[in-house]
Amino acid sequence: MAKDETGSVESASLFRIIATDIHFWIPLLVFVAGLVLLH
Amino acid sequence: MNTVATGSTVESPMPAGRLRKLQTLGIFCGVVAGAWLGGAEAPIKMVNPDFSPITVSLIMVLGVFLARWSVPALVRGTSSVRYDVSQAPHLVVWAVLAGCMWAAANTLTIYAIRNVGLSIAFPLWNANSLLGIFWGFLLFNELHHAGWKRWVGVLGGAAAMFAGATLLAFASSSQAPPGKGMLGVIAALGAGVLWGTMYIPYRKAYLTGMNPLSFLTFFTVGELVTMIALAVGYKGATPLWQELMSARSMLFWLMLGGFVWVIGDLFQQYAAKYVGISRGIPLSNTNQLWGLLWGTLVFHELQGGNRIVHSQVIGGSVLMGLGALAIALSSASQREHSSWRDAAEREGQRYGVEDGYVRAGMEGREFEGGRKRRTLIDCILIAGTTAVFIVLAAVARPPRMDMHLSWAAALAAAMLVLLASCGITLWRTTGFR
Repeated sequence: MAKDETGSVESASLFRIIATDIHFWIPLLVFVAGLVLLH
Repeated sequence: MNTVATGSTVESPMPAGRLRKLQTLGIFCGVVAGAWLGGAEAPIKMVNPDFSPITVSLIMVLGVFLARWSVPALVRGTSSVRYDVSQAPHLVVWAVLAGCMWAAANTLTIYAIRNVGLSIAFPLWNANSLLGIFWGFLLFNELHHAGWKRWVGVLGGAAAMFAGATLLAFASSSQAPPGKGMLGVIAALGAGVLWGTMYIPYRKAYLTGMNPLSFLTFFTVGELVTMIALAVGYKGATPLWQELMSARSMLFWLMLGGFVWVIGDLFQQYAAKYVGISRGIPLSNTNQLWGLLWGTLVFHELQGGNRIVHSQVIGGSVLMGLGALAIALSSASQREHSSWRDAAEREGQRYGVEDGYVRAGMEGREFEGGRKRRTLIDCILIAGTTAVFIVLAAVARPPRMDMHLSWAAALAAAMLVLLASCGITLWRTTGFR
C-alpha cells in the first residue's frame, strides 16, 4: 500500500482499498436496509 | 505478565500454552459480557414508557459515548488509542461504520421491546449469533480445519441456545402487550441482522491487531452521530429538545443503562478478539439468562405463571446454559488458529499493517512502543464523565415501581465480582491488549 515519507498510509490509497473490499459493502448495505426499516 | 513483541512474522504458530490461555480468557470474557449486557436492560425498565423510543435510545447513546471515551482513558490512556490508529488507520472507518449499525439496531430493539416485550424480543435479536457464525466462517476462516467435534459443539451449542431462547419467549408471551406484534417481531429481527453483521468490522479490527479499547472510541462516534441524526430527523430539533428536558429526572437511569451496556460490550469485544465471533457472540448472548433473572427476581415478571410456564423457563434456561457450555468446550485448535492467522495475514497485507503489530495483537501482547503513559486529557475525560453522572444522579427521581431491592443488590454484586475477576485476568494475561 502507498505510504508517504513518514511511513503513514496515504488517505486516497486507503479509501481506494476500503472501497474495493467486499467486507466493507456487506455491513454498509445492511446498515442502509436498517435505516429503511426504521423509517 | 505481558511481554513486548517485535517484528516477527504472522506465519509462525502461537505456543500451545499461550493459545490455550487466550482461548480460556476469551470464553471468560464472553460469559462476563452476558452478565453485563443482560444487566443493562434493568435501568431502562425503570423509565416511563411514554417517552419516545428514539429519545430513549439517544439518551442511552449519550451515556454510551461518555463510557466509551472514559473507560479507555482509565484503563490504558488515550495515547494508546492514538498509537493504535497510527498502526492501522483504516480501522477508524470500520469502527465508525460498526457504530452506525449499533445505533440503528439499538433503536429497533426499543421498538421491539415496546411492541412484543423484552422476553420475546430478546431471543429474536439474539439470533444474531447464528449470523455471526456464518460471517466468521465465510469471511475470516473461523471453524476452518476445526474438526467435526468443534463444529458440532459450536453449531449445536448455538442451536441449543436459540431453542432455549425460544422456550423462554413462549414462557413470557402472555406478558406481551396487545397489537403491533408483527412490527415488534420485524424490529427485533432487523436488530439481529444489524448486530450479526456488525461483527464483520469487529473481527476485521481484531484480526489486524487493534485493541478493543481503541476500536470503541471511534465506534462510539458513529453511534452518536447516527443517533442524533435519527432523533433530529424523526422528531425535529425543538420537540426533541423539549422531550429531553422533560426527561431530566430519567436521564441518569438511561445513561446508566448505556454505561452498563458498554462494560458488557467491552468484554464482548475481547471475547470476539480471542475466541472469534463464532464463539464469542453466542457466549455473550447468555445475556438473556441475566435479563430473565432481573425480570423475574427484581421486577416480578412471570408472577402467577402456571406449571407449564415454569417448566418452559427452567427448560429454556437449561438449554441456554448447555449451549453455552458446548461452545465454551469447543475452543479453537492450533490448526484452526493457523487459519485465523491466514486471514490476519491477508488483512495485514491488504492494508499495509506491520506483521509484528498484527501478531502481537493476536497473541495479546504489547507491540514495541505500544505502551503509553496517561495524559492530562485522560484525567479530564474521567473527571468530566464522573461529574456528569454525579449531577444527573442528583436530579434523578427514584423510579416508582415495585422492585425487589435485595435481589437487585445480589445481582449487581454478582456482576461486580465477575467484572473484577475477569478484569484482573485480562490485565494479567494481556495488559488489556
